[in-house]
Amino acid sequence: MAVINVTAGSQAILTLGNTSALAIPGAAGSLSVPLMQDVTISTTPGTVRYSTLDATSSSAFTTVMENEVSFNMLVDDNTFFGLSNTTNSVANDGLWTTSNSKTEIFFSVAFEGTDTDDYYFSGQGFIGGLAPSASIDQAVWISPGSIIVNGDLSKAQVS
Amino acid sequence: MAIADDIRSKITTNIASNTAFKVSSELPFDSNGIPLYEKNMKTVYVDDDIESKIQLYRTLDQGEVYQTDTIVNAYLVVDAKNQPSDIDTVIASILSARDAITGTQINESSVESEIEDDYITYTFEYNITKLS
Repeated sequence: MAVINVTAGSQAILTLGNTSALAIPGAAGSLSVPLMQDVTISTTPGTVRYSTLDATSSSAFTTVMENEVSFNMLVDDNTFFGLSNTTNSVANDGLWTTSNSKTEIFFSVAFEGTDTDDYYFSGQGFIGGLAPSASIDQAVWISPGSIIVNGDLSKAQVS
Repeated sequence: MAIADDIRSKITTNIASNTAFKVSSELPFDSNGIPLYEKNMKTVYVDDDIESKIQLYRTLDQGEVYQTDTIVNAYLVVDAKNQPSDIDTVIASILSARDAITGTQINESSVESEIEDDYITYTFEYNITKLS
């Protein structure tokens, strides 16, 4: 048993690609979103509550999972606006164009880095929630972002 | 010590038209226990940068962003009994030397005065904050 220490700078990684292979942590041609201040994976089952005449407390049953990845980042120009990449259209187009065109992407969130057997979550979805802001006090552009997950999150290990 | 150099150079330019005042390229060190600016009235002395680096942002990939806070002090002494008639203009010119530093988040200058015996010491402080 051990906590997963992310302070070395190489553990918590959000990787994007237009194919599932390109979204594996550390994959050649993948887009690792740099300068993230935080990343959050929300994975919650939908529930419906109901009451019956013979119970003093409500009951519940589950419906479907609602999954989302959200993050805050310092805006990197190549990541936000795109940098020539012949294999990965997400890296080529950048976050904003991919979001604006509502293109479905593949992603992974590495928990432990890119070494063999390191755990990560993967899935596919749509980039949203971009809201870049700048002020003289913060000195740089900062933006939140999210991936609205389409379908399941899958647990996997780097092979 | 680039910021102090730039401020010294800008002060020199700003007060060039006033021949009664000058700017020393020496640091305001003490000579026999007396600061040079007390010995040499109407001469501006600019001290070295006092610099500190502060981590402005931390990121998960260690792509840290730092800001540098720099304080520069300058000193000027004039006769308290016979103050130069244009001292206010000279002080304003010295304060505006902060404009020599560009690309800043914070660019401030202030002055304090202290009377001792028959002279006034003006202590200027420039506060500069830049992303680094």
